[in-house]
Amino acid sequence: MSRLNSSRELEHLRERLREQRQNIATTVMVCGGTGCRASGSSAVIDAIRDELSRQGLDLSVRLCVTGCHGFCEQGPVMIIEPGNVFYCHVSPEDAFEIVSQTVMKGEVIERLLYTDPVSGERVQTESEIPFYRAQDRQLLSQNLMVDPCSIEDYIVAGGYSALTKVLNAMAPEEIIKEVKSSGLRGRGGGGFPTGRKWSECQEAPGDEKYVVCNADEGDPGAYMDRCVLEGNPHLVLEGMMIGAWAIGAWKGYVYVRNEYPLAVKHSRIAVEQARELGLLGDNILGSSFSFDVDIARGGGAFVCGESTALMASIEGKVGEPRPKDVHTVVDGLYHKPTTLNNVETWANVPSIILNGSSWFASKGTQGSKGTKILALTGRIKNTGLVEVAMGTPVRTVVFDIGGGALDGKQVKAVQTGGPSGGCLPVDKFDLPIDFDVLSEAGSMMGSGGMVVMDEETCMVDVAKYFLTFLQDESCGKCVPCRLGIDRMLEIITDITEGRGRPEQLDLLEELADTVSQTALCGLGKTAPNPVLTTLRYFRSEYEAHINEKRCPAGVCKALITYLIDPDKCTGCGVCLRACVHGAITGGKKQAHVIDAQLCQKCGICRSECRFDAIRVA
Amino acid sequence: MLQYVNVSIDGAIIRAVKGNSVLDTAIEYGICIPHLCHVPYLSDIGACRLCIVEHVVNGRSEITTSCTLNVEEGMVILTNTDKIRKLRRNIAELLVAQAPNSRAIQDIALRCGVKEVRYPFRNEDCVLCGRCVRVCAEVWKAQAIGFVGRGKDRHVDYPFGVRPDFCKQCGSCIQLCPMTITPCDGPMKPGEERLCGKCESQLMIADQTPDHCVWCKLGEGFGCGRYV
Amino acid sequence: MPPQTLDQILEGRRSQPGQLIEVLQDVQENHGYISEEAMQAVSRGLGVPLMEVYRVASFYKAFRLHPSGKNVLTMCMGTACHVRGARLLLDQATGQLGVKPGGVTPDGLFSVERVNCLGACALGPVVTVNGSYYHHMTPGKLRKLIETLSRQETEDSQNVQAE
Repeated sequence: MSRLNSSRELEHLRERLREQRQNIATTVMVCGGTGCRASGSSAVIDAIRDELSRQGLDLSVRLCVTGCHGFCEQGPVMIIEPGNVFYCHVSPEDAFEIVSQTVMKGEVIERLLYTDPVSGERVQTESEIPFYRAQDRQLLSQNLMVDPCSIEDYIVAGGYSALTKVLNAMAPEEIIKEVKSSGLRGRGGGGFPTGRKWSECQEAPGDEKYVVCNADEGDPGAYMDRCVLEGNPHLVLEGMMIGAWAIGAWKGYVYVRNEYPLAVKHSRIAVEQARELGLLGDNILGSSFSFDVDIARGGGAFVCGESTALMASIEGKVGEPRPKDVHTVVDGLYHKPTTLNNVETWANVPSIILNGSSWFASKGTQGSKGTKILALTGRIKNTGLVEVAMGTPVRTVVFDIGGGALDGKQVKAVQTGGPSGGCLPVDKFDLPIDFDVLSEAGSMMGSGGMVVMDEETCMVDVAKYFLTFLQDESCGKCVPCRLGIDRMLEIITDITEGRGRPEQLDLLEELADTVSQTALCGLGKTAPNPVLTTLRYFRSEYEAHINEKRCPAGVCKALITYLIDPDKCTGCGVCLRACVHGAITGGKKQAHVIDAQLCQKCGICRSECRFDAIRVA
Repeated sequence: MLQYVNVSIDGAIIRAVKGNSVLDTAIEYGICIPHLCHVPYLSDIGACRLCIVEHVVNGRSEITTSCTLNVEEGMVILTNTDKIRKLRRNIAELLVAQAPNSRAIQDIALRCGVKEVRYPFRNEDCVLCGRCVRVCAEVWKAQAIGFVGRGKDRHVDYPFGVRPDFCKQCGSCIQLCPMTITPCDGPMKPGEERLCGKCESQLMIADQTPDHCVWCKLGEGFGCGRYV
Repeated sequence: MPPQTLDQILEGRRSQPGQLIEVLQDVQENHGYISEEAMQAVSRGLGVPLMEVYRVASFYKAFRLHPSGKNVLTMCMGTACHVRGARLLLDQATGQLGVKPGGVTPDGLFSVERVNCLGACALGPVVTVNGSYYHHMTPGKLRKLIETLSRQETEDSQNVQAE
């Protein structure tokens, strides 16, 4: 395709592409996101493609390999339009039936439909599925319409019209004003008002400015950014272009973490395609705006999600944060004014420009506007990516969308905000998804990760897990973080291994307070949060570990014993053979016994037992 | 041409040189702010966090390191509030629990008011203050040693762990290292570590006047700006 | 495609210190690890002090300073995988193979790595073997997987000997 030299040429291209697709009767959208690929969607995609070709349908039926649809637990997933038919757990062998029946004749294949776990009924369309129905999928729904490796798809879906609007009709000050009025706040965790950040950067002295997209997404359990960047990279690029025009930058970077190879690949393709069409480069669409983007890869460091560490990494240095006495909007990348925003923040910009700030501000609460993508995972039935309007109660997300706990267990808490966040107990689930309300409760929203925990999750173990993670990821420069986290972990390890003393809880709190106030960067400052919230809401679990040497959830190895229930054991011998430590004895058809001295609590026997006869005490 | 600004430190209005850090300014005027990683002629990295102060802005006070904060007209700084003293004491406690085998670190702990150490003692021989790395890079431009690894693994080493030929063994790194000043009674063996503080130095008196410079031996041996 | 040589990787980037991380990543991808020799060449080629190259290479987890095993098992230790029992999987792998996390078996056939979240959280616990994803893993399934891989390696080496 040749370079577009004006907005009009872009509109002509859009019309032409739409006309070309008028003959397409049916579209099959198969999810090619990392989650579904892990479940085998690559083979499904190939099978459908081959089958369409075999039946001579490749001209009238469009196979669109999309980014993540969000319902990863059900993968591989596909949607067929018209009809909005939703199939899940699709395998390559189903290709023939899908093409012959649903694509050709519009007939639905019952066994591939989603079964509602509550009612037990089959649901035909995507829009009826309870998981999707309670959501407000402003950003995620766009993933269904585009193949991330096709700029044509993005243009057909209306892409880059926000860019033409700003280049033709909006001065930088107007754009910043719109973003300010929308109430958009950073989606990466900080929740800083985006409009204010842009205006501070625009006002900073200097001609050389940068925009950066933070796609480092290090919070374990969070993959919203991966989904948006993998599935719709042009949306993010368009947001960055609008931001660059507003603040006066002519160069941008997308910093993608090393662990997301597909996101790196798709972003690179998107940039190449945009350059080809002249949407990146000199005099974009014939205007005075010149802007280009480079993709920078992370090196495997959670701390590089911190803005100054990220910028150091782009500059080719170690990702060590520096003190932010002067903010990065004034002194950032290469010591120039830099606007760094999260993937989801950038992705929200085009729709704010197109639909207006009041549209965006009409959703959400007083302090938190718009929608938020959450990564709902852990011990619930429906895991995946969820997009809801701010203000939605946590309860709705966990129970109505998430479907409640697994296997009849009780939900105990939800962990939000990754290692910087905290745990919210189930009696606080009426709180809304809102930056300030959740921060106040001690469990900041962070980037949107929500890990659900049930009665079999030990909250002391959760605090230990996060401290271990942060100790690993700390850059090690400053004393409070390096030594403070180490000592907190030492105390918590004592507690989980039965050596805890009551005075250690006070020391833990004091140390946590010191670290949070004196650490150099955000990683250190928020490191104590998981400890502080679990102490605040689940102190009884800590006390049980210390005073009774007991782990109520049955997790801490030093405090539990594996037992075989003689009433349930059939003497089948599977566990005996599976045990690598020779800890199980028993004759055929007789109840087996575990020798506590030899048992290493590795969990193999429990995972192999078909009669649920092994329990933890 | 030096430009001056007026800043308020602990209530005293001080005429400070623009471009200087709050730490340098305070030390010059005899206000003691304990520090470890700061060396007057090296860059400041804000790593040890001992020099923290309260910077009062718009009615709110932010806790920040005085070595990385440059003076500005009208700035209000508090160096010795109860909050700061407690935080500083806790940080010093962490340091002395990590490396009790250094008189300098023991003195710092004493200076910061550490009365007991509530963590099991360790016997590390490096506190990662970075003085050695910076003097090698900034004064001698050799970069023969540097920080390697991350988090708990962070340590100072030569490239590949082997002394390169461009290390000329000038000894500057050893001269600045706080760990080379051993306790008066000699090195503490593993298992015998304790909080010192038995020395009859001015630091004992300094406990009652925490913010005044007392021309301590620690500062003298340690390259404190007051002596420069 | 044959792995690129150091010269090819440095092509077009010489004397550009800012390219250090990109260059090291290409070295890691092409050679499996960053050797001393590679670091010396990168230092000379980009004009970055050797200490700085070594510092960057040792800071980022993506860079291995020693060759990894023939089969790389990567255990996801993200939060979602953790609450579904990822710790038990790590213990299983390290126990069964007799290595520490990050280590390589003496015969060079297996190494066990940890990673902080692969982004496939709905499918946890996740283990990857040489890039292939295995989801909803249990200690039992992992034990069988490792046994299968070991058997495969023994068979392969026997076939090679036989030839």
